[in-house]
Amino acid sequence: MSAVAAPSAALRSFEAQWRARAAGPLAALRGQAMQRLLALGLPSSRDESWRYTSLRALAAQTFVEAPRIADAATLRALPQSWLAGAAATAPIVIVNGYPDLAHAARDAPRGVEISSLLAFAEDHAAALLGRMAPQGDAEQTRWALLNTALFADGLYLRIHAAAAAPVLIVHVAAGGAANATVHSRVIIEAMPGCAATIIEHHIGAGAQPALCNSTTQILLAAESAVEHYRVIATPAGTTHFDSLDIRQARASRCRQFTIVLGGGLVRTNLDAHLEEAGALHEAYALLAGHEARHVDCVATAVHAAPGTKSRQTARAIAGGTSRVIFNSKVIVEQGAAGADSLQSSRGLLLAPTAEIDTRPQLEIHADDVKCAHGATIGRLDADMLFYLLSRGLDLATAQGLLVYAFLDDVLTGMSSAQARARIEDALIAQLPDAELLRSFR
Amino acid sequence: MSGKPLLKITDLRARVAGKSILNGVDLEVGAGEVHAIMGPNGSGKSTLAQVLAGREDYEVTGGEVIFDGRDLLALRPEERARGGLFLGFQYPVEIPGVNNVYLLKAALNAKRKAAGEPQVDAYEFLALIKQKMKFMDISESFLTRGVNEGFSGGEKKRNEILQMLMLEPKLALLDETDSGLDIDALKVVAHGVNSLRDGNRSIVLITHYQRLLDYIAPDQVHVFCGGRILKSGDKNLALELERRGYDWLQAGQVA
Repeated sequence: MSAVAAPSAALRSFEAQWRARAAGPLAALRGQAMQRLLALGLPSSRDESWRYTSLRALAAQTFVEAPRIADAATLRALPQSWLAGAAATAPIVIVNGYPDLAHAARDAPRGVEISSLLAFAEDHAAALLGRMAPQGDAEQTRWALLNTALFADGLYLRIHAAAAAPVLIVHVAAGGAANATVHSRVIIEAMPGCAATIIEHHIGAGAQPALCNSTTQILLAAESAVEHYRVIATPAGTTHFDSLDIRQARASRCRQFTIVLGGGLVRTNLDAHLEEAGALHEAYALLAGHEARHVDCVATAVHAAPGTKSRQTARAIAGGTSRVIFNSKVIVEQGAAGADSLQSSRGLLLAPTAEIDTRPQLEIHADDVKCAHGATIGRLDADMLFYLLSRGLDLATAQGLLVYAFLDDVLTGMSSAQARARIEDALIAQLPDAELLRSFR
Repeated sequence: MSGKPLLKITDLRARVAGKSILNGVDLEVGAGEVHAIMGPNGSGKSTLAQVLAGREDYEVTGGEVIFDGRDLLALRPEERARGGLFLGFQYPVEIPGVNNVYLLKAALNAKRKAAGEPQVDAYEFLALIKQKMKFMDISESFLTRGVNEGFSGGEKKRNEILQMLMLEPKLALLDETDSGLDIDALKVVAHGVNSLRDGNRSIVLITHYQRLLDYIAPDQVHVFCGGRILKSGDKNLALELERRGYDWLQAGQVA
């Protein structure tokens, strides 16, 4: 073991935030997470999965907690989610990590029970401790550890209907000091045989916090089904880390969409654990590199039981001076006979100054498995482009149409037509000749 | 035809990857005329079509092309299309994710915009496209599919003609639109092409075989060889080529 380096300025400031956290039923859990992180240190480019995203500048900064906003007028003035129409009921808004649940009981769709995470902890501390305790793979999920140590509050959602109406959770980062951080936490639990669509939309307002560090856990009981969207649309100045941990029991089905349309530096993690037989996991990523955005997306599917199936589909486009990284990994553990996985990553470069890196990885420790992968990165197809030009379309429109067509594989996977339409709109707005493309829909 | 020709090509030369493909093409096509360009494989026929449509892979090294009074070679591909030039591709590309109807509507609107005309009415457009689809024997599923996506060779060619009928070009260059078609599909394609003939629109058919000319009567037939036109004549020239092949012409060139 090499000597542990002195904690960075950032880590020391996080430790100070942790010390200021009120005591409560989760104090021991937070302490355990913080100590673990202090021992591990923040990720750096020495870590394999962080080699493309430098955190050196971030580590040298110090951070403070973003304030809780309680003033009604300020809350009303916050930006609204453009995904609002995709939910059956009013969105649940979380501002700087603090949920506004004044109307949640009234507004919650049937079959979904919603509580503040801290309120839930008062009554169910033991259950929550079991779900939030650092896992064996904590080294890979250090930003989630930090979230456990520091989350302001968050949501606990319990799905107990065969087909609950779609729920929209809007995370609003609403400023504060220039070095403010927001840590919001969501836990979603689908009961046996129950199903729901959950959309998490990350947006920002006004003076941005420097750092958003959100974490979501989804637990799928036997034969449950969850379609989950996380749409990162924070403004360009923001650094955003989002960690998603999914645990799937027998014959559960999870379809997950990671959509990155905003943010300055964005890192998304997805760790899916197919823990019991027959679990099906489909992960889609749609990563839009626009202007100077840096997007680093990591998706891992662990097959830990026989007859499990995973699909990872990623489409990345990069224009301007943006950089998009997509790494997917499938791990088939011993005993996961009959595991079936497919990884498809495609990248499309729109500018010579943009960069895309993709790497599908496979780690197989079982026999009798079916694992396939494909990865391509390229520019727009010259034959397709010329065909469209020869029909009179101008270059910007032709390029926009081809980019749009390229993303079709992810968009067609969305079973919520309302969510799809709104995500398409937001996506089109970042493509050349947006107005014309919109007129085709 | 009186007055200036619609298309006038003078001593056109082009190369790709340093290799000279067009070696001084001269051709005049008057308004309302149908010309057939025939010739052996590799003679440069398709290159001529691609150069006229504006494909950047080919470097024009000399000559001049006047189309409808404008310097064609100075225009971008999309400007040529909006100005009334249409290329029917030999191998139409599949574009999954871009709907056939989107493309046609965008193409038609681009042309109208360039001409200062209003955008197409959605209902009129759909009615028109359905009428032309019926005419070209194209199934309804076309409306929801991606451009040429999963089309058979014959369907792709019929789609090219459908696009031509919707866009109503002044000049259609049809690059081996007849190849790979069975006799029924050939008749449908010929029917489509003939319906465009109104005394003003011109058509240049690039073809290997005389059989298309059984259904579309050309005003002139040109033999293309070694990157230029070796011989021109009326439709009897096509029959002679069918009977004698191309060798006698090439021998004549050497002599």
